[in-house]
Amino acid sequence: MATTACFIIVSRNDIPIYEAEVGVAAKREDAAQLHQFILHAALDVVQDLAWTTSAMYLKSVDRFNELVVSVKWNKIKEPRVDNDQIKPYIHIPLYAFCFSVIISLTCGIHTRFMLLHDSRNDDGIKSFFQEVHELYIKTLLNPLYLPGSRITSSHFDTKVRALARKYL
Amino acid sequence: MEPEVSIEGSSTIQIAVIPIGQIPPPLLRDYYSLLLPLHTIPLSAISSFYTEHQKSPFAHQPWDSGSLRFKFVLGGATPSPWEDFQSHRKTLAVVGIVHCPSSLDLNDVVDQFASSCKSYPSSLVDRCFAFYPNDSQLEDGSKRGGNLRLFPPADRATLEFHLNTMMQEVAASLLMEFEKWVLQAESSGTILKTPLDSQASLSSEEVIKAKKRRLGRAQKTIGDYCLLAGSPVDANLHYSTALELGRLTGDYFWYAGALEGSVCALLIDRMGQKDSVLEDEVRYRYNSVILHYKKSQDNTQRVSPITFELEATLKLARFLCRRELAKEVVELLTTAADGAKSLIDASDRLILYIEIARLYGSLGYQRKAAFFSRQVAQLYLQQDNRLAAISAMQVLAMTTKAYHVQSRSSVSDHSIHTKGIGSDKPDGGKIYHQSVVSLFESQWSTIQMVVLREILLSAVRAGDPLTAWSAAARLLRSYYPLITPAGQNGLANALSNSSERLPPGTRCADPALPFIRVHSFPVHPTQMDIVKRNPAREDWWVGSAPSGPFIYTPFSKGDPNNIKKQELVWIVGEPIQVLVELANPCGFDLRVDSIYLSVHSGNFDAFPVSISLLPNSSKVITLSGIPTSVGPVTIPGCIVHCFGVITEHLFKEVDNLLLGAAQGLVLSDPFRCCGSPKLKNVSVPSISVVPPLPLLISHVVGGDGAIILYEGEIRDVWINLANAGTVPIEQAHISLSGKNQDSVITYSSETLKSHLPLKPGAEVTFPVTLRAWQVGVADADSTRHSKDASCPSLLIHYAGPLKTSEDPNAVSPGRRLVVPLQICVLQGLSFVKAQLLSMEFPAHVSENLPKLDDVNNSSNGGHVNSVDRLVKIDPFRGSWGLRFLELELSNPTDVVFEINVSVKLENNSNEDNHLADRDSTEYGYPKTRIDRDCSARVLVPLEHFKLPVLDDSFLSKDTQTDGIGGGRNSSFSEKISKAELNACIKNLVSRIKVQWHSGRNSSGELNIKDAIQAALLTSVMDVLLPDPLTFGFKLVKDGSDSDNIDPVKESDLPESPASKSSVLAHEMTPMVVVVRNNTKDMIKMNLNITCRDVAGENCVDGTKSTVLWTGVLSEVTIEIPPLQQIKHSFCLHFLVPGEYTLLAAAVIDDANDILRARARATSSAEPIFCRGPPYHLRVLGNT
Repeated sequence: MATTACFIIVSRNDIPIYEAEVGVAAKREDAAQLHQFILHAALDVVQDLAWTTSAMYLKSVDRFNELVVSVKWNKIKEPRVDNDQIKPYIHIPLYAFCFSVIISLTCGIHTRFMLLHDSRNDDGIKSFFQEVHELYIKTLLNPLYLPGSRITSSHFDTKVRALARKYL
Repeated sequence: MEPEVSIEGSSTIQIAVIPIGQIPPPLLRDYYSLLLPLHTIPLSAISSFYTEHQKSPFAHQPWDSGSLRFKFVLGGATPSPWEDFQSHRKTLAVVGIVHCPSSLDLNDVVDQFASSCKSYPSSLVDRCFAFYPNDSQLEDGSKRGGNLRLFPPADRATLEFHLNTMMQEVAASLLMEFEKWVLQAESSGTILKTPLDSQASLSSEEVIKAKKRRLGRAQKTIGDYCLLAGSPVDANLHYSTALELGRLTGDYFWYAGALEGSVCALLIDRMGQKDSVLEDEVRYRYNSVILHYKKSQDNTQRVSPITFELEATLKLARFLCRRELAKEVVELLTTAADGAKSLIDASDRLILYIEIARLYGSLGYQRKAAFFSRQVAQLYLQQDNRLAAISAMQVLAMTTKAYHVQSRSSVSDHSIHTKGIGSDKPDGGKIYHQSVVSLFESQWSTIQMVVLREILLSAVRAGDPLTAWSAAARLLRSYYPLITPAGQNGLANALSNSSERLPPGTRCADPALPFIRVHSFPVHPTQMDIVKRNPAREDWWVGSAPSGPFIYTPFSKGDPNNIKKQELVWIVGEPIQVLVELANPCGFDLRVDSIYLSVHSGNFDAFPVSISLLPNSSKVITLSGIPTSVGPVTIPGCIVHCFGVITEHLFKEVDNLLLGAAQGLVLSDPFRCCGSPKLKNVSVPSISVVPPLPLLISHVVGGDGAIILYEGEIRDVWINLANAGTVPIEQAHISLSGKNQDSVITYSSETLKSHLPLKPGAEVTFPVTLRAWQVGVADADSTRHSKDASCPSLLIHYAGPLKTSEDPNAVSPGRRLVVPLQICVLQGLSFVKAQLLSMEFPAHVSENLPKLDDVNNSSNGGHVNSVDRLVKIDPFRGSWGLRFLELELSNPTDVVFEINVSVKLENNSNEDNHLADRDSTEYGYPKTRIDRDCSARVLVPLEHFKLPVLDDSFLSKDTQTDGIGGGRNSSFSEKISKAELNACIKNLVSRIKVQWHSGRNSSGELNIKDAIQAALLTSVMDVLLPDPLTFGFKLVKDGSDSDNIDPVKESDLPESPASKSSVLAHEMTPMVVVVRNNTKDMIKMNLNITCRDVAGENCVDGTKSTVLWTGVLSEVTIEIPPLQQIKHSFCLHFLVPGEYTLLAAAVIDDANDILRARARATSSAEPIFCRGPPYHLRVLGNT
């Protein structure tokens, strides 16, 4: 497991909607703040890179003092009924929910998962992002969750931390 | 490391600019700014100052297109240990600046300059520029010559021209010095050292190597000088040689330096033309440069040339710094940033970060730039001195934009305007949501807090209290939910400490606490309503009153509660109020020294108030002010003086914050966490100020408290009206509104009208007569609560002159004053019950019959209401024809009441009255006193009024039950009769007045009409219906039993009540009993007459009879035709004088149903018994 890792979900408006220090290193306040500063600064790079690559997973987009930033770019395309990307998520029994799904996904575009890490475990990070993505989609499905607002679910937090222990 | 390195930097000549003598700093900057434009001197311009002493070593110098480049370093730079390696690091010239007015002695100046120049051993040319010399100095200086150059006072353009010339001269001198140096170096060689070399121990092998290297290094340095001299071609030649030698000797460091020089020469040669080929070439060569610098690093050495590698990286990054190459530049800069930790010198790291931040900034990566700026600030903060703290503060101030924590003062008005769009349309749906979201874009609270905290820290260290205050305010206001109570306290202390260092009255653009939002704009208090005046109508107030049965009428203008649509009208000179809600969500007591409305339109005087807020509390307060001139008023927010600094709090910002909280975008709603209920979004209505209007204010004379009245109390209240405005009142009209309007008996609107026009300051007092209403049973408990609701109020509409002088076209509106008459009605005397009593006082037998009540008078109106005083009851009359109304009253209050019952007589019935002394038409009875918690009975004698005929129509109700149905006609007549009955009862009741007094000035009337009416109705038959038979006794005068005893005639006779009223004992007394049939049927009956003495013993029959008689006294069978009367005569002989009572009674045979009903007989077999009233007879002895 990585000694230092900071995971943040940034909404399309560049507001952090979820923050977690998931490293095993001793938690120091100034270090945690530095992590956020690094991630915040990396947004500039991520923003530019997004236009040049079609990849969803951008590994090591930025670094500062041995700390590497990796990003999962949730480019969920404009939802259409026949969109393959959406189909997997509409396997829910309630028809009534479909509407909220579409709304949610529309609002969910351009959310970024950003991970600051000091390990080079690329596969682990990739899996981590994949699993968190699914968690995030589940959160979006919650009709009570206002897309773009802070994720305060403790369940989500627990799951993310468990995933971090597993993959990072 | 040096700041602002660039590839072309190798070709600039560093010139130290040093102040000589005393120069005020602004002046020095001014002089320095004169020099700055002269950074490039074309070679063509210096030819006049240039003399070729020897053959120039710069063979390929481009005299027509080339130039010398200068870099002016104010205050000079300390000599770099690396200046042999790169000649542009040397300070090659020194320019002294003298401000002559402050340095009078030129000798001193020259000496000072000379000594200053000694610290720049590498300097080749020294010049001292003296500005603004006086005449003597000018004279002195012109003689002196040498390095001193005097600039006579002139305008700026002239000065610039002179300076340009002087710099050309400096440039020429430098060029000549370079030539000299190069010639010397080429001939004799030179020793060039770097800190790298000095560290190396020289072995014999290395000495040989060093000799070879020396050549290469000399070539490289000559190349440097060629570059400085503006000859890139020459430089390139020398660099090529140097590169060759460097590669051979493995002198990587110098090789890289030469390569760097060659790139610079290449760029200078191409003179700014950039194409991709050149770019590739530069990129290739610089990558090589970086590589060789890296190669030259030797970890064993203490001094590392890493700075050169980093500088080279930065130079390349700066060269490539374009949006299209962002990726490459980011890569370079990331590498450079990685190099920072290998830097030993903190200032090197500082410069590195500064440069990286600058490059990111010019690349458009604001967040990256901010990140490195913050790193710079942290390095400054580590230095722990004031100047560094100031630098840190300034650097952090630059990052605030990227971190979205700008001070409001740094945000231009325009951006505030565009940001504020959201609040204008509160229901714009999704678009609105988006704009709200955009307001909170990039709100990364963790890092924002850190940045603000660092700004606060640096400002405190730098001794800038205002910045510290602003940072603490922003921190506290925006992030209080994330700060512990202790931290909040700390910030509050920081705010107070900062304000102590600020002059009082300092303003800051950033508001701290509390949060302020508009609570409501109270519409005009009812005392100040403005009513539109229709000039065409005289009675413009009609229809404007809020009266009528409907709470809401579709015709009334808008709902007063709906403030959104409303336009507020304020009046010049009249105070207004606005309710705002303050919230203190922090854990300390907040003391707001003053708060008042902020009005930018300038026509409003706001009154400050001070307030303190408990931790986590909110409060609604009233802010007031006075409009001062006509025009629109906008209230964007409040001015708050809190924590020692004056700030403006905008309502719009709080509204946006609340919206953001509702969207989950910000952390907390400051009002909700204080427990304040959610308010509807109150927008500031458009407010206009109109010219002054008259203003009436009212008060009740004797205090504005509730007027306490007992039920039925009548009292005059004086109401004082004063014109508190500045305009006279020319029109006024009083009307009533509200509940219980009938309790206002009179009001004197004439008094008010007679005082018009009411000048400003004038007063008028007019009376209003009130009568307290009855307290209902349900009302009794809730009197106090609902007194406002049940009180009537006076509406006074008034207006000033129709036209104002300011705007002759506009009709000035009228106003409405509502004077609520606060009446508190207490329960007073209460009426328990009323009942009719049939008391019998025997009448005296006289020669005439007692007057029968208008038996023959067929008019209904006349047969009532002659009432005697109780005390003066006619002894001859007895209770004949009288009934007594008993009123039972109780006094539940704690005061004493006195009751005065009076009955008003009708004037036209006076003639019937027996009394001689009845002058007044109203008779009072002695006052009855009712103590507290007692009850009393009051007797009211009523004239026994009867209908003349016992008719079945009155009994139809009863007869119907007996099966004798009245037809349609009878029920019709019954109705009429009932109506007549009711009318006469009403008539009677309305004449009875029960007045009471209590204390000194409480008096009133008891409203008992309904109760009396009820009482009368229960015994209506007794009251109204005549008995079937009427009996009367009278004396027959001297046996001349006349037939003229017709009651009609009798009643016409003047009465002499006392005459012949008594009889003598032992004499035959002829008497007659008159029996009248009041029915329409023939009545057959048995008449009995008895006489009783005082003891009630029958004195006619029996053994001890004391009365002898002649004639028949018992069992007299008589038949009386309908509505007729018969007389039965008899004589009595009284043996004993005394009082006797005569009684007549009859048993009616074959009674019909009417009689039975009247007698309330239960069975048909029951005999119907009629009894006349007793008659009194006084028998006198004849002694």
